[in-house]
Amino acid sequence: MAGSVLAPVPASTAPAAKSRVRRSLRSRRTRSGLLNGAPIVVYMLVLFVYPILSTLFLSVKGVHGGLTLHWYADALSGANLAVLLTTLRISAETSLISVVIGFLLAYAVSRLRPLWAGLVMLIIVVPHFISALVRTYGWIILLGDHGVVNSVLVDLHVPGAPFQLLYNEIGVIIGTTSVMLPYTVLLLYAVMRGVDRRLLAAAASMGAGRLVMFRRVYLPLVAPGLVNATVLSFILCLGYYLTPALMGGARQTVVAALIDDEVMKQNQWNGAAALGVILLVLTFAGLSLLRLARAIGASARQRGAA
Amino acid sequence: MKEPRIDRRIFLRGVGGVAAGITATSLTGCGTGTSRSAGAAAGGGGGKKTIVVRNSGGTYGDANLKAIYEPFTKETGITVKVVNIEYAQMLAQIKQGRPQFDVIDDSMADFVLFGKENALQKLDQDRLKNFKGAGIANNLVTPYAIGKNYWASVMAYRTDAFGGKTPQSWADFWDTKTFSGNRSLQSQDADLPELEFALLADGVPMDKLYPIDVDRAFKSLDRIKGSVKKYWDTGALPGVLLGRKEVVASSVWHGRLDALIKQGQPLAYQWNGARRQSNGWGIPNGAANTDAAYQLIDFSLRPSVQAHFATLYPMGPVVPAAYKQLPASVSANLASSPEHLKSGFDLDVDWWIKNQDAVIKRWRGWARG
Repeated sequence: MAGSVLAPVPASTAPAAKSRVRRSLRSRRTRSGLLNGAPIVVYMLVLFVYPILSTLFLSVKGVHGGLTLHWYADALSGANLAVLLTTLRISAETSLISVVIGFLLAYAVSRLRPLWAGLVMLIIVVPHFISALVRTYGWIILLGDHGVVNSVLVDLHVPGAPFQLLYNEIGVIIGTTSVMLPYTVLLLYAVMRGVDRRLLAAAASMGAGRLVMFRRVYLPLVAPGLVNATVLSFILCLGYYLTPALMGGARQTVVAALIDDEVMKQNQWNGAAALGVILLVLTFAGLSLLRLARAIGASARQRGAA
Repeated sequence: MKEPRIDRRIFLRGVGGVAAGITATSLTGCGTGTSRSAGAAAGGGGGKKTIVVRNSGGTYGDANLKAIYEPFTKETGITVKVVNIEYAQMLAQIKQGRPQFDVIDDSMADFVLFGKENALQKLDQDRLKNFKGAGIANNLVTPYAIGKNYWASVMAYRTDAFGGKTPQSWADFWDTKTFSGNRSLQSQDADLPELEFALLADGVPMDKLYPIDVDRAFKSLDRIKGSVKKYWDTGALPGVLLGRKEVVASSVWHGRLDALIKQGQPLAYQWNGARRQSNGWGIPNGAANTDAAYQLIDFSLRPSVQAHFATLYPMGPVVPAAYKQLPASVSANLASSPEHLKSGFDLDVDWWIKNQDAVIKRWRGWARG
């Protein structure tokens, strides 16, 4: 491969590589592997790679043909930039809160007996099967000015009650957090189940206090799960549309809603494509952040081992 | 309930529909031919005539079936079939030359767009017996379309919210001192922004609304913005917001609160300053059964049929004579009753078609700012 880039090609490498390919093609395993993989490759090419490429193309296509970055400039300025920043802020807040709550929940569940743990997990996951629309209307009944939460707060004479918990950013965060919670809890629960409790016992036997045990032993062990859960809920949030629309106000417009608007109302596919590509890039950025965090974690562990 | 709204939304989505229309053509084109020929074969084979009507379905479609299609079949022997496709798909089929439908029941605004696309046949009014002298409003008679039923956006409020006072106008709606409490207005996601209400609140007389002074309308909207808790984007939401006391007054598609009011919720409509729109009939180019289409349109314009429809569904007749056959309790709840014709106004479809892109863009920026 590198041979084609370097000017003076060493005579032997190219044919060698070619014959290696041919040899591996002759092996039955490779052939059956390719055969089995072909349908899914074609499927992905047609339904995934092609649409993404055409979206990319749409996002740089000028009105009168030719290439332009106009749509990106448009997406990254003025009201659209504000929408993008709102989306990032809502996603960050949601992922942080849902990881913190998810951590506490998952920890509590991981300490329960299996039967109870299963029951609690069921309670956490089942609301996920209810239609998002129904769930969101449920939130209106709970969080409205005369909803359950505010009625209780008013009855308890909490100063400042009733609070506005809907049609603003608080409402959106409550809604999206509840949607993301099952993901973070499931992820963290799996990691916590894998933690070897004997390590904690060993730390305790060596005189570590609860706080030290948690900070120096437990947290490093579940850290990869925490990072995964944070990034996952952040990415899921980036494209989330329904809850912000139903539980937020006009100021909580998110990028996904903007894309819907541009395609459905304004017939502005180029602008929508640019916004879509920006979301995609942000997702990739999130994923590579995950990679980076893992690499740092791994190197730290190596250093620790050495 | 008000399914016509749905195709309004789709119409907004399809506006300008050039790019969308073209892509849709290539997608739906193949399907069209087969369904048309299947329908024709079925119709021809039985030796019976069939007509295919497009409407927006739902309870609106049910009411049409009971009040218009079934009696029409009984009288003429022509079977009525229904399709519920949306603007872009209709346009694609017409452009392809063989639409699967013979007559379209849609919003008057969509017919303006169809007209611009040269997708409709010019209506020959001489073929409509019940049209002549029926007194259908001029703005509901265009070269390509003819009105069918009125609907309206009206004000709704909680009767228990203002200590016995009743908001009489949009100026009262805007007056958050006398009528304190949260408001809700329609989002541009649902239908055309309610600039007219803002102008009425600012003192513009009802007959001077158009052409809309957009700057003045937004300045007026600025004054109510702080009290608007939520811009509703689905027809059901005003009912939820009013019912849960989240807001005390809201704009609403008339008819949407009927069920809640029947349950005894303290809600009421205010017809002053209602914004009327209408559904209509049109015949697409390439329709296979133009004669039957004219027959059906003519049938639907009979005062008795118009009245029957209004008793089944809260949309107002376009033929004034129909009101003679309606009990007062029903006409009091219709957008085109003699009183409501005076207390409300007609949305100017032409102005909106020309200006909606710019207005919607501005509205969006305004709401988010």
